[in-house]
Order: sequence, then structure tokens, then C-alpha cells
Amino acid sequence: MSQAIIDVRNLSLSFSRKKVLAGLNFSLNRGEWAVIAGRNGAGKSTLLRALSGVLLPDEGTIRHGPGARPEKIGFISDRLSLFEDWTIDQASDFHCRAFHIGDFDGQLVKRLGVRGRDRIKNLSAGERAILHLSLVLAQKPSLLLVDEVLHMLDPYIRDLFIEALIEAMAVQQAAVLTVNHTFGEIERLPERVLVMDEGRFIVDETVEALRGKMRKVVSRDPLPETQPCIFKKTEGEYKEYFIFPFQEELRQGNALDFQEMALPEIIKAFIGGGYEQKRMA
Amino acid sequence: MNLTIDSKSPLPVYQQVIQAIKLEILSGELRDGDPLPSIRDLAKLLRINPNTVAKAYYALEAEGFSEGRSGSGSRVKAPPGRQDALRKAMLESEWRIFLEKAVSLGFSLEDIRQLIERINK
Repeated sequence: MSQAIIDVRNLSLSFSRKKVLAGLNFSLNRGEWAVIAGRNGAGKSTLLRALSGVLLPDEGTIRHGPGARPEKIGFISDRLSLFEDWTIDQASDFHCRAFHIGDFDGQLVKRLGVRGRDRIKNLSAGERAILHLSLVLAQKPSLLLVDEVLHMLDPYIRDLFIEALIEAMAVQQAAVLTVNHTFGEIERLPERVLVMDEGRFIVDETVEALRGKMRKVVSRDPLPETQPCIFKKTEGEYKEYFIFPFQEELRQGNALDFQEMALPEIIKAFIGGGYEQKRMA
Repeated sequence: MNLTIDSKSPLPVYQQVIQAIKLEILSGELRDGDPLPSIRDLAKLLRINPNTVAKAYYALEAEGFSEGRSGSGSRVKAPPGRQDALRKAMLESEWRIFLEKAVSLGFSLEDIRQLIERINK
């Protein structure tokens, strides 16, 4: 059974001498939503750009599954360049001709109260993001790559954006891969989490599995050395210890209170742990 | 309908959806034959993954709380006889959590019984 929309093997990519992607492996299935998290410079945006075809890898392969032809991969980024001097109508017409789209209605953009004759250079960041998304969705994408866009949208536009993504998943079985630093409203949307560090994935788990394997202990006492702690944080007299991978056996022989954690906090712990390792190296 | 999902709950989201729909059925908000919201609509309302909704709907159907009709989504199946059993099962699971907490705080079953009698007066 192969439902993979994209399959990445041993992907490596360097900028001058710096290795940004260091032998990545992963695949994404139809209709799956995965989130990529990681500290700044971990390689997240580079990976999305490589998957979208903007960057060519030095090594490794990116195999597209059935239905994932290049024009079915939509890439939305905060560093998007649209044709600044064009009007919305001109850009939409061009896009529809380029991708042979016959049924673009521009509904999403119209809900913002902008007009077709408005020039792109006069749009706000959020309006641009929605315009870009609506053009990409008109391609009926099988894979949507969304690079850190949500944080710059106001709450109303963010809602529109998220609903449009859910719609694309539900209706077209699109796979969604987002890079996020902030979660908020999308906290419950990804089913899978990939944490990136130094150009590779240090975590690739379903949200459910990851939440099962992650616990927090808040204590004034030092943590027994037998506990697998990936990160610790000091809050005055107290220390927060982040335990991974957690197993029920870790409760034996101590009175530690292992607390379950929500996804954003889990990701913070992994990123914090990454910085800690970097400092010690 | 009043469905809410708690991101911090240890209960997986799809199970929270199952619980929430069952509560709607128990409270009479959803009646026998009522259509369940479409997967797409519920995913948008709750800001959850459509696959999560689908998973919950499959489970509800497998447990006999809904039935699928091709083309028109699923409908609630809530024969009156089942309500009582369901009500009991839900109270029981709430009680189990409460009892575990009480026992871990050092209360005996006798203490708990007395507490209930006192509150009930």
C-alpha cells in the first residue's frame, strides 16, 4: 500500500560549506497534516523550498506519489514574491492561464473587501497571504507546503486561512506540511510532528504517540539520573524537567509527579534541549 | 450543539469527539435520525483535523451510535433502550477518575461514602 504523496530519502543540501539538510528521510501520506518545528536555522524553510522544487538537493531523492505532479504542490511562504505592480485580477488571470484553471472564483479574497483592481503592492501581509493561498488552492493541490505564515495574520484572516486548509484536506484529501513557531488555533490540526535540528529530524511521531512519551516534572530536588531528561528549565527555586521518552516504569521507586504536556510545550522542550546541546558542544 | 475540545486533556482528541457526541445524544440535543455534522463542518467548527473527525465517526458507527447513508452523511442512531446503559457507563467513567483521585489522597471508601451522604443531606 503506497499512499505517499511525497517520499524523501537521504536528502542533503548545503549552502556554500554549511550543510543545511543532512540526510533527511520521511514521507507524507495523502490527507495527512504534519507540522515541522525546530529552532531558527534548523533547516525547516530550506526543506520546504526543496520539497516545492525551488531548491535542488545535492544528494538524495524526492519522489512524488501519484497525483503530486509539480503543479499540484502549493507552496506558501512569508517571503513570497508576487508581481507587485499587477492588480489582483491581472495576477489571478495570469495564474489561471499558467495552470489551466478554469473555475477560479476568488471568493476567499473577496471576503477581505479588497477589489480586483487593487494593486498587489498595496495589500497588507495578510491580504497577500490569502491571495496567494486562494491561487494555490485553485490548483487543487495534493500537497500544501505552508512556511510560517499564520503568525502574521490577524485573527479573522487566520481563521479564513485555517478553514481553507481544512477544506482542502477534507475535500481534496490534500496533505499539509506546515512550519510553525506558534500554534494557537492550529494546535489540534497536525496529526504528526517532525522536530528538526541540524538539518535532520530528531522526532517523527504522531501527536498522540509523542504526548504519550513526553512528561514534565516540576521539583525543587535534582532529578534522579535514571530519568531521561532532554531539557531542564529553572524557575526560581523550582526546576522543570522534561522527560523523553517516558515509560510507566519510570514511576517506580520515586514520588515524582509526571505531568502530561500539550503539543506547543513539548516542542518548546525539544527546541530548548537543542540549544542546551549546542551550548555544551 | 455545544461541543468543546480540550487540547490539554490526556484524552486523545478523537475520543473527546466521541464523548462529546455521546453527551449530545444523552442530553437529547441529538436525537434518533438526526444528521451528524459533516466531517468538513465539524473539523472547521472544532479546529481539528478532518481525519480525527472521521476516526471518531467510524468509532461511533462501530459502536452503533450512528449509521452511514451514502451521499447524505451519517445519522444518529439512539434507540431509547440504550440511553440508560450509556448514561451509566459515562457516570462510571467519571467516577473512576474521581475515585482514583480520592484514593490517592488517602481517603478510604468509607470516608467517601460518608462524604456523599453528608453532601446529599
